Amino acid sequence: MTDLLTLVVQQSVNGVYLGCLYVMVALGLTLIYGVLNQINFAHADFVTVGAFTAFFTATRFATKALGMPDTGAYLLSLFAALGAGALLGWLVSAAVFAPLRRSGADELRPLIATIGVSVLLENGQLALFGPIPYQFDSPLGRQTIRMGSIFFSAQSALVVIVSVAAIAALYAFMRFSFMGKALRAVAQDRETAGLMGINENLVIALTIVIASALAGVAGALLGPVVVLTPFTGGSLIVKAFACVIIGGFGNMEGTIIAGLLVGIIEAFTVQYLGSGLIDLVVFAMLLLMLVIRPTGLIAERKEENV
Amino acid sequence: MKRAFITIIFAIGAFPFAALAQDKVIRVGVLMPISGPGSYFGVMGKEGIDLALEQVAKSNLNGYRLQVQYEDSACSPLQATNTVKRVLDQLKPHIVIGEECSDASLAIAPILEQAKVVQLNAGSVTMKLTESGYKYVFRIFPNAEQQSAPLVKVAREKLKAQTAVILYEKTNAGNDNAEGFEKPFVAAGGKVLAKIDFGRDVNDFTAIATRIASLGKVDVLPTFALEGQQVRLSQALAQAKVVKGGGGPGVQMGSIWLPFGYDQKAGQASVGYVRIVQFDPNEKRKVVQDFVKAFQAKYGADKTPTHINAHAFDTILLVAEAVRRGAKDSETIREQFTKFKDVEVTTGKISFDKKGQNSDLSVVHFVETQPDLSWKGMSWQ
Amino acid sequence: MIAAAPWLLGSAYWRGILVLCAMNVLLALSLNLVMGYTGQLNLGQSAFFGIGAYVSTILIKTYGWNFWLAAGAAVAAAGLVGVALAAFAVRLRGHYLAIASLGFAVITYQVLVNWESMTQGVRGIYGILAPVPDTVALFYLVAGLGLVVYFLLDNLVRSPVGDTLRAIREDEVSAAALGVNAAVWKAFAFGLGAAIAGLAGCFYPGFVGTLVPDAFGIVESFTMMAMVIVGGMGTMIGPVIGAVVLTFLPEVLRDFGELRLMIYGVALTLVVLFMPGGMVQAWASLKNKIA
Repeated sequence: MTDLLTLVVQQSVNGVYLGCLYVMVALGLTLIYGVLNQINFAHADFVTVGAFTAFFTATRFATKALGMPDTGAYLLSLFAALGAGALLGWLVSAAVFAPLRRSGADELRPLIATIGVSVLLENGQLALFGPIPYQFDSPLGRQTIRMGSIFFSAQSALVVIVSVAAIAALYAFMRFSFMGKALRAVAQDRETAGLMGINENLVIALTIVIASALAGVAGALLGPVVVLTPFTGGSLIVKAFACVIIGGFGNMEGTIIAGLLVGIIEAFTVQYLGSGLIDLVVFAMLLLMLVIRPTGLIAERKEENV
Repeated sequence: MKRAFITIIFAIGAFPFAALAQDKVIRVGVLMPISGPGSYFGVMGKEGIDLALEQVAKSNLNGYRLQVQYEDSACSPLQATNTVKRVLDQLKPHIVIGEECSDASLAIAPILEQAKVVQLNAGSVTMKLTESGYKYVFRIFPNAEQQSAPLVKVAREKLKAQTAVILYEKTNAGNDNAEGFEKPFVAAGGKVLAKIDFGRDVNDFTAIATRIASLGKVDVLPTFALEGQQVRLSQALAQAKVVKGGGGPGVQMGSIWLPFGYDQKAGQASVGYVRIVQFDPNEKRKVVQDFVKAFQAKYGADKTPTHINAHAFDTILLVAEAVRRGAKDSETIREQFTKFKDVEVTTGKISFDKKGQNSDLSVVHFVETQPDLSWKGMSWQ
Repeated sequence: MIAAAPWLLGSAYWRGILVLCAMNVLLALSLNLVMGYTGQLNLGQSAFFGIGAYVSTILIKTYGWNFWLAAGAAVAAAGLVGVALAAFAVRLRGHYLAIASLGFAVITYQVLVNWESMTQGVRGIYGILAPVPDTVALFYLVAGLGLVVYFLLDNLVRSPVGDTLRAIREDEVSAAALGVNAAVWKAFAFGLGAAIAGLAGCFYPGFVGTLVPDAFGIVESFTMMAMVIVGGMGTMIGPVIGAVVLTFLPEVLRDFGELRLMIYGVALTLVVLFMPGGMVQAWASLKNKIA
């Protein structure tokens, strides 16, 4: 592949796929931030939990106990991961976020608390699953789709498709459903929303559950393409944060664009500079963003009340 | 609270006195990464050592028994330094086995040297460990040069390779191995098209594979990374049609980083992979077969031991052998080690050279992954 | 009590932990100045720790400088970078500042890893000597510096400067309305905090003997933050307590082997949940209940 055009297209394709990986992880983060003004450091570990749930559902439970065919097993595992993520989100919301909100905590303590949860989850999974990478094969994993000289694996195509579907579903939910509107109301102005009869606590808990369910599904999608260990989440979280910031805290469209941007930049950095410099480039970009356009790519956030 | 601390500390400190009171004990400190990503090594290392302890306890040790204290050194120099001091204080060991990661092993070497305690290393690759003049350091794990030099020889002579792309993880071990390949390869007339490194947290290699595909014809791709990443890397390389497993011209080469079973995990992408193997569970030697059987009996019939299990297992065998030959403390263990010649263990035969490095590589052999994902032993050496 | 500590804990291992503790106290104090008193969310303090460590080590090893000169230069370097970060982030607040500082920490780490000709990157620098050969002496040195820093900071926060910083913490906009040049004071706080962290960094490589970039990542920043919060942010004694507890806790938990870090995570979460003002506040309310 020495033709420059093919190369650029291929790396762009790689970048889009990478970007979708980050978007899947970042979307939940941005959702939680939008409503709660909170950063959940344990989010990436939710992704890992989702991945492991999917792995065990697909390989042990569905195929062995239920005797399902591979594709069915994998689909089932997606739902299992969604459920696991949702459950975990609900637990963390009830045990950590809600009590801290009640006691009137500032922005910092929930952050630290989620760090504690992250350490707990990572080491808990380490104790349960061990550090040796698990071989999670989805039925599509090994197939390559070729279009001319351009290639990508079937699983990456699935990642992109499901990400798009998830984003579309989320969008529809936020725009058209009552709960979605309530969520946006709470995100914009919690007090007024409360005055208008919206049960903020319910909405917030629901948001966390949805975001964590997203994380779970992300894990199920990523499992077959990443190196699956309890540390997988940690390897993704920092870049996911970068996407959230670059896109603008709490801004869904921005996060998506930022994710794709980060993915593409990563692919081209690898091509021309070297993979050791990826983090450097991405974070330099992030800092630049913060200086030039602190509100993110798509300025939607209101100004802070004086 | 202060009193509670002091009480706890005295309680911990009182422990070794109970042990010292008994006679005929060889005290072995083991520094392994048990937490963090390095636990990949530590978990397997501990399995090997636990199994060896069981076996050795059943054998004749001139009335001695082995007492082991594990510490979590987490693959980091800080933790390694702290835990080696802890173990020196609490256990007063005759020998310390450790660590796996090169940084950590190098960090504890001067401390053990000063304490005149033998350090037996079975996992680090860095040349510095045995090139720094330490008299108490012994290593049975092949160092970077021992791993890479044969690869260069085979690449040039058997595979007729002109061009290479070196892929390696961004650690001491990866760096050393990569250099260990680059220097002799270039000296022998080869051309290194690129040296591509990546952190241990990189999950996706399609961009790297694409980059390699754009470099033109690559004959060999020596790779130095852990199995998890290598699986993804091989698959990406196959997708990009760079390596044989994907219909390309390149041959992936590797050293003893990859355990048995890697090929099944990577699938078709690993076909044509040429690598050095030291511990081979298929080897017919009795030591090896006994080890495999005992391992599976203890840990499950579906688990095949890896070289990390094997090397850790061997360290205890060597300590036991030294004791059988009369060693009873650090100095005499050290003496016995220097005299070791052709001591047989699962990873081959041990003869330490003047620097403490095992120089016997007689069981090291090349294998090539076949289309049915089995290993075919090649007669190169 | 501090002076007696090395003799109470008689073994080389615990004395080593004491040195580590002293360093952590310095780090916690430095972060507390920025976060506790000036109210700036800084997730990247480990970067200054690393700058102190690397600048001093490189000056000593590559250029043959004397330790104290090198340490001075390293502290100055860290302080300057701290001021630069503040200047860069002057308009950022809250979570934006948090992530900017995080980004800064990541970039610093990457520079340490990639600038191999200077820092040796992941290969590491070996055979580093401490400024004093004995662990006990090292402890006294670092702890002594810690005491000095403590008293200096204590006086600082009691002075009008402290009031200014607190004003910025409470409400930056109103403070500006009262004529406070927030940007200058934030730069001051960041710079001083960074310099102190850099000071701690000068002793770290000598203590371990080996210097690798991995010691200065995000995890270290979080640990420092945990020390400040667990101890009690915004008080002077809080970070000290937090540093002591969080240095000794993982070591004491070593007997629990594999469960060690899990317990640590649970402990951290519980403390944050139930002891908002950290241990200082918990102690105060306990005293109130007893009294």
